[in-house]
Formats: sequence, structure tokens, C-alpha cells
Amino acid sequence: MPVDGDFLREAFRSMLRARILENKLSSLYKAGKIVGGVYLGRGQEAISAALGASLIQGKDCYAPLIRDQAGRTAFGEAMIDCTRTYLGSVEGPMRGRDGNIHRGRPEMGMPAMISHLGAQVSVIAGMLFAKRLKGTLDGSVGATSVGDGATSTGAFHEGLNLAAVEKLPLVIVVANNQFAYSTPNHRQFACGDLVERASGYGVVGYSVDGTDLLACAGVVGEAVKRAREGGGPQMVVAHLLRLAGHGEHDDGSYVPSSARTGHYGRDCIEVAMRQLVEAGYATVDEIFSWQEESAEEVQKAVAQAQQEPSPDPYREDWTALSTKFPASTT
Amino acid sequence: MSVTYIDAIREAQEKVLREDGRVFLYGQDIARFGGAFKATKGLAEEFPGRVFDCPISEDAMIGLAVGAAIEGMRPIIEMQFADFSSIAFNQIVNQAATHFYRTGMPVPIVVRLPSGGTPGSGPFHSQSMEGIYAQYPGLVVVTPATVSDAYHMLIESVKLDDPVLFFEHKFLYRWLKAKSINGDGLPIGQARIARPGKHATVVTYSAMVHEAVRAADRLQADGWEIEVVDLRSVKPLDLDTVLASVARTGRLLALGEAFPWGGVTAEVVAKVTEEGFHLLDAPPQRLNARDTPVPYHPKLWAAHRPTPESICEALRKLLSF
Amino acid sequence: MPIVPILMPQLGESIAEATVIRLGVAVGDSVKTDQEIIEVETNKAVMGVTTLCDGLVAEIRALEGISYSVGSLLGLLEVTEEEVARTGVDTLESLEGKKNSQTESSSVETENLHFAIDGDSYEEDPSIIPTVKGLPVPTGVMGAHYISPRMRARMDDMGLREADISAVAGTGAGGRVTVEDLERFLDYLEAWPSVAASPMRLAVADAMRRSWTRPLATVGLPVLLDRALEHRRAQSPKPGLTLYLLRAFALALKEQPMTAGYLIGEKVVHPRSFDIGVAVQVEDGVVVPTVRKVDQKSLSDLVSEYDDLVDRARRRRLTEDDTRGGIATVTNFGTFGLTTGTPIPLPNETLILGIGAGVKKPVWSDQVEAFVPATEAELLLTFDHRVVDGGGAGMLLKRVATLLQQPENL
Repeated sequence: MPVDGDFLREAFRSMLRARILENKLSSLYKAGKIVGGVYLGRGQEAISAALGASLIQGKDCYAPLIRDQAGRTAFGEAMIDCTRTYLGSVEGPMRGRDGNIHRGRPEMGMPAMISHLGAQVSVIAGMLFAKRLKGTLDGSVGATSVGDGATSTGAFHEGLNLAAVEKLPLVIVVANNQFAYSTPNHRQFACGDLVERASGYGVVGYSVDGTDLLACAGVVGEAVKRAREGGGPQMVVAHLLRLAGHGEHDDGSYVPSSARTGHYGRDCIEVAMRQLVEAGYATVDEIFSWQEESAEEVQKAVAQAQQEPSPDPYREDWTALSTKFPASTT
Repeated sequence: MSVTYIDAIREAQEKVLREDGRVFLYGQDIARFGGAFKATKGLAEEFPGRVFDCPISEDAMIGLAVGAAIEGMRPIIEMQFADFSSIAFNQIVNQAATHFYRTGMPVPIVVRLPSGGTPGSGPFHSQSMEGIYAQYPGLVVVTPATVSDAYHMLIESVKLDDPVLFFEHKFLYRWLKAKSINGDGLPIGQARIARPGKHATVVTYSAMVHEAVRAADRLQADGWEIEVVDLRSVKPLDLDTVLASVARTGRLLALGEAFPWGGVTAEVVAKVTEEGFHLLDAPPQRLNARDTPVPYHPKLWAAHRPTPESICEALRKLLSF
Repeated sequence: MPIVPILMPQLGESIAEATVIRLGVAVGDSVKTDQEIIEVETNKAVMGVTTLCDGLVAEIRALEGISYSVGSLLGLLEVTEEEVARTGVDTLESLEGKKNSQTESSSVETENLHFAIDGDSYEEDPSIIPTVKGLPVPTGVMGAHYISPRMRARMDDMGLREADISAVAGTGAGGRVTVEDLERFLDYLEAWPSVAASPMRLAVADAMRRSWTRPLATVGLPVLLDRALEHRRAQSPKPGLTLYLLRAFALALKEQPMTAGYLIGEKVVHPRSFDIGVAVQVEDGVVVPTVRKVDQKSLSDLVSEYDDLVDRARRRRLTEDDTRGGIATVTNFGTFGLTTGTPIPLPNETLILGIGAGVKKPVWSDQVEAFVPATEAELLLTFDHRVVDGGGAGMLLKRVATLLQQPENL
């Protein structure tokens, strides 16, 4: 599918904002400011942003996963939601009850992921199913992403199969970053390319170079378009390499240098920048100014979240139910 | 004309489908076939586009329900057997149960779980899993024992904003009949005195309520008056009613059909010991199924679970203390 | 010829009954093994009831359009002996035999079935052992040995002690007193006249109850009082006999202080000072003022101190200090005309020394080689057997008796 210049600028800006934000998160983690883990999407920004930017907030729903900061940003998540959640501000969407990438705003069509991989596939399917029942589907789509590891789960299989049976407009992006934590592809699956599975599910499959924004935008755009038009679930497999550890506690030493120096070891942001400049969609100066704006935005979001109160255990209501049952019935 | 327990469940679903446009039913074999137990018989025809057959994907069924609830719907999911909910365990306890606490948005889903033993059903079609789910925060776990409760509590479950696990006992489906559906208006979270008494209290739920009442009837011949408390919902657990009963009797037997390690009966005993130690005139007792998988053969099965005989024996021991 | 029953089968889980739609055979028809002979409908499906063996239809009991519960007799087949042996089917006769071997299974009521299976051994099978664990039955003494949490709470509520319920014969396991027993006892007491016990009475009761938790034993020997009485007559002011005893006790204890040791956990606490209490009967009770350093004071020194304490005790004017810190007690119940008794030590003391009334007795005198009248009294020592044994207690008692024979040294 031909790609619009404005779309590319938008997607690229999301990549840039995500990268700068995540670099900051990494440094906050290393400074001991973040408790728990920090999980980065470095190297996966192109495919993630291509998906997020293809969706329409308020109409579509999107369940981002662990390495989707760029997709979240492109979909419209406020940066402050991220910093508040990572830094444990009580003002954040999770109010200190959950952290880091486990955040979401279901009311804006972006459910909060759980750690169990593949579990969001059926949740997005359910949101689409409900929209259809309510009569509000109206060309909207639902999207989620998973990694190569999640494709081995029963939940992924059940969810994708169910979405196919229900013919739901689901776009599922498989970011094959070659390692599930430390486990390489050959210990994860035995088919040549995960996209081969698409036909088994009866869904349309696409394979794309995940380090190439232009290609990602074209393929994801096509998949989203076909889903909107009633073509049923679409499965995009993006080939790339995670340019960070599983989390910031992990140095990724198990990634061989051949992979780092190979084709997928290239940085998608540099690739995208060249593509934008060469095609005349943006100038280098413009990109530098975006970079400065983003750095400032990140700094503000971090500063604000840091000044906000953390949750107070004495003021928590400590209930997991919204129904108020009598206290004696704990 | 009489109404069975399963009639009541079907009627309740018909009523909520008719009165609440947000409700839809999703489960295996529930549309044209009417469900493995016929709990949805005729509903697909009566409510076109609102009762769906689904793939054998328990995990995805609950995931779908959570997604639909986020979108404002009130799905009722039928597990063909409660036993199969183990496949959906992750979505139930991690997705549905944590959703309100994490995001502030409740997910009103009802999961119907045909539960408990029937002769010849064996290890994988007989389980009582209420205790496992009650252990997780964020779930309401109900266990109706009567035809009217099956009806009213299912309707109330759909109205609750929280995920409800609705454990319906397969044995009661057709064995249990009532002249008509009526109700004493008790809400979920309140127990009922199924049979008043003064010498000992049996705290139980679901099908075991009837077994306890039968045991109590037998002991009446010897002059013992046994009080039977039907918990109705195991979470929330109505400790007030339980303590009030133990205050009357001083003796407690917690009775359940589930496996003996932990579970609802253990929770009842723990809570009563914690908050009503001074009420106990005898060590509180538990009676559960045996600590093996539920056996297939009816003879083994009948000795695996509590029966009026074993309940009587447990009560006699308790009464003679 | 053997008769084989045709029964309504269990056609699915939770199926209690099925309706006969069509009878495929009539009386006199011959049927083959596995032949579908009766068509029945459950709310799940339409199915055929099959035969288990070859035979002749002897009787059809089922009617079309009628619903029968699982296990109901639908008809009978006449089957040859060879066929029964070949197929191993149950005949009516063998089924009866199986039924009769079970207790009470014939009284199964269909409306009371619940989980029972008709004809199966569900009902009243003695081999069904409940999984409930046996309750630990309190064993040992009858009565108030075991007190349940509820009994304890109820007793606290009523201000009752274990001693108070010793009058109740328990009906619980091992004769324990149940709450019901207690309530019955309290109801029974209602019918009796009663008054509130005085604070003094309650204080004595409490002290005695606490003391009685220990293994107490009493030893005694007769002692002649003539020398002491003679010595006393020569004194002015005259010390009481109790004072002689007090002084003799203190001197004896000073020689064997371990005897008055007090056991706390795994430690014996020894006397620090020979302060000894004296039991004084007052209205509705007993008080025990303490005489300080009895070992260091002579009899004449002690008289006024002793008289003052006894006087104040009777007028209830003792201070808390006056009754504190004793290591043992002396009681002279001879003043009530009693010759013997088993005194109980204070709960915080190991020993109590008692003396009965002097009695005139003929005693052989080597001096005059004849029986002479003498005054003899019982000297009794009660001790905590955890601390002191009979031998130690006896030695102490003998020493007191010897000292009483030398009043000039007291």
C-alpha cells in the first residue's frame, strides 16, 4: 500500500518520542529511581509505531504489549501515563497498583496487559465482538501485538482461532525479535517463518522487515485497511532484533554478534530518518527540532511524576471488588 | 407443574436476555443444541444473534468476555463443565479478577460452571472448584442450593459489576424440583438458615445443603436439633450468620463436596475459630470429599463424597464431645 | 426359566428420568442381544433401550408417553440358563439376592433419592467411613478437667472458677462439663437461697484455690508443751504459745533454709529474711500478718510486735506491707479446740506449720518412775511436695519439736 508522507512523519515522531522516553527510563532505572523492571522497545519502534499510527483512537481498540512504547505514543497515550506508572505516582492510571508496561486505559480502548503472554488476543477479540453486537463496529478494528515467544502459548492459539471463527477485524502483529528473553527462535518454533501459521488459522498473513518503517507502514496499513473492510483477522509478522536486553536488568549477552551486525541489527530509527529525508518528507533540521521537543517533553513528564505523591497504604480501600458487600463478609 | 433447578437457570437467562440488551450468552454447544445440560434450550431461537456457539477455547472465551465487558456488555459464559475452567484459569484469576483493582474499571462477567459430582462422571466432570476461585481477590463466587436461589442469584449475578463465578450443581439440575420459583429476597453475600436447630451447626452450600438436611432429619429421631446454614455465596462469606448460629449451638461442622485440603470448609473453620473461639464448646470439624480424584464408579463415588451417613456420623461425634 | 429385568438406563449425566416414546416389542416376541426394544426420550436426546441377552419378552410394564425414573422396571425377559451364563446378565433372582445383602436398601424412597442410586449400596452402608477425623476425647478425671473455649468464656462471664464447676457431673466426652451441663447447673442453683460472698471470703477462696494447684502433703508428730507452758508462766508480759512456735520455726528454718524455697519454673527461690506469717482468724476469713526477722529477735522482744499485729488484724487495720514478704506461716488451730488438721500454705509459700490443742495425757517419767500428766499437741507441717520431700519436712518438724523443748533458748 502506498504510504502517505504525513503518516510517516507522524509515525516517525512517535518512534523518536518513544526512544527518547525509554532512554530516560533506562537511566532512571540505573539511578535507582524505578522500582521493579524497565522493559524497552528499542529496535521495535518502526513496526510498533506503524501499527499505533494506523489506528484511530476513539474508534479502534489496541492492546499494546511489552515493547510498544512507540505504538502507545502513536495511538495517543499521554507520556505522563508512562512516567507516572513507572515512577509509582498515585495520579497515574494504575495508581501504584500495577507498574511499568502493565498500564492501560480500557475506557479509551487500550486495555492493560497482564504478564501472561497471548492473553490480550482474546480480550481485543471480545471488544470487537461487543462492538459488533452493539452495532458500533462500523469499520473499526482491534489490534494487538505479541512477540515470537507468545506464539507458542495456548492463549495465542485460542484467541486467534476464535477471532478467525468470529471473523473479527483483528490485526495481530507478531514482532519476531529472535529471542524470547534468552530463548532463540529455533527453540521456540519449528516452522520457517511464523507467517506460515496464518493460513492454518484461515487469516491473512504478511511478512515484513521490521527495521524498515516504510515497509512496515505499507504492510500494516494494508492489513488494517483489509480488516476495516471486513476481511477478518490479519496477521503481520515483523522480522527484527531487540536492541536491548529483555529488561534493563539484562544485558542481552546471549545475542550473538553476528545478529547484532546483521541486517536486522540496524537501528530502525536511523533507517527511518534516512527514508524521511531522502523522500523529502522531513529535513534534518526538522528532525533535530523534534528531537529537542521530545527531550523537553520527556523531562517535563518525568519531573511532574516525580513530584507527585506515591500511594498511601493507609488510604487504600484494599478491595478488589467494586460491589460494596458488608464488611463482615470479607 | 414443577420447576427444576436447571429450569430456573434457563428462565433466569431468558429473563436477563429479555430485559437487558447488554447480555449475551457465549459457550460450547449452547446455541441450537441448547447446551450440554439444556440450560439454554430455545434461547438461541428466541434471541437471535445473542446466543453463540464457540470453539473449545476456554481461555479465549473468558478473554472475550472481559473484552466485551470493557465495551459495556454483560456476557454470560457457559463452561460446559466447571472442570474445564482450569483451561481458563489464567483469564479468570489474572485478567478478570484483577481488572477492577488495577484499572478501576469493573468487568461484569458471569461464568456459569456446572459443578459437583454425579454418578459415573469420573475425575474430569465432577469437580467442585469454588474454593480455588474464592482464594483469588476480585471474584464473587456463588453456590446456589435451591431452585429459587438458582434463579434469583443468576439474575443478581448479571446485575453485579464484578466477575461472578456461578457454581451450579449438576446433580441438582433435574433432581431438585420446586412447586414454583419464589424467593425470600436474600441478596448475594447473605447466608440462609436452611433448617433451624440448637445442638450443632452445619455450615455448607450447594448440593450438600440437601445432604445436611437429610442427615439432620435422621438425627431428629434421636432428639438432636441440627441447624443447617446454607452459605449461598462462598465469597463473600456471611460470617455473621455463621457466628450467630454457632453462638446458638456451640458446635460447628463445616461441610463441602470439594477436596479436603484447604477450601471453603477450612475457611469457615478458620474464621469461626478466629472470631468465635469463645462460642465453641467442641473442636470445630470439617467434612469434605476424600483426597483423591473423584472416582468413576458409583460405589466409589458415593463413598468419596460426604453422604447423609457420613454427615450423621460426623455430627454424632461432634454432639458426643 | 430365569427372568431378566429391562431397566430404565442412566442416559446421561444429570438425567433423572426418560419418557417412553415407543415400545418396539410385545409380549411373546423373541429378542436378540443388543436389540433396541424401547425408544425413550430424555430432554437431551432420543435413544433406544437395548437388551443384554437373547430371550422372550415375558412382560411389558412400561406405557408409551409415560416418564420413568432411572432404574425403573420397564419389562421382563424370559432367558435360558445357558444364555444367562453366556452373557453374565443379572436375573431378577440374583438382583434380589444382591439387594437383600444390603441393609435397608429396600426402603429407599424415590422422592428421597438425591444422590442415591436405586438398588445400589448407597444407603446405610456401614463400610462408608467418613473422612472426618475423630475428635480428641478428653480423658482422665471426670468433671472440670477439660474446659472448652465456650465454657471458659461463659465461666469468665459469670465469674466462675474451675472449682466452682467441680460440683457438676459432666455429660460430655470423658465426663467433661459441657456448656449445657453448666447452664443446667446454674438453673438448678437458682432454686437455692444464696447471698453474695464477702470480699474477704472471695480473697481467701482465691488464695486457697491458687495454692491448691500444687501437690501439697502434710506430716505430723506429737509434741509435749509442758516446758514451754512452764516457761511462759514465768514471763511478763506472757508470750502466746503461737509465738513460741513462731520462734522455733524461724530458728529451725534458718538451719535448713532450702526447705522454705519456692519453686518458680525451673528455679528454687530461697528465703532472703526469716519473716514468718501468723494466721489470724477474723470475721468471715483469715488474714496473715508477717512478723519480721523472727530469727533475730528474742521472745520478749517479739511480744508487743506480735500483739500489735494480731490486734490490728482483728480490727482489719493491717497495711499491705504488714502482710507482704513472708516465707512461711504458722497457724494455731488449737485455739479452736481442734487437735489435728491439714493446713494449706499461702499460694506464694511452700510451708505452713500448724499446731493443735494441747491435751492432757499420762506420760511415763523415768525420773519418778511413774506415769505423770503431760500436755501433748499435734504438730503438723504442710509442704509443697515439688520442693520438699517427706524426709526434709520430717527433719524440719523434728527440729521445731526439739526447739520447743528448750524454751529458754527461744
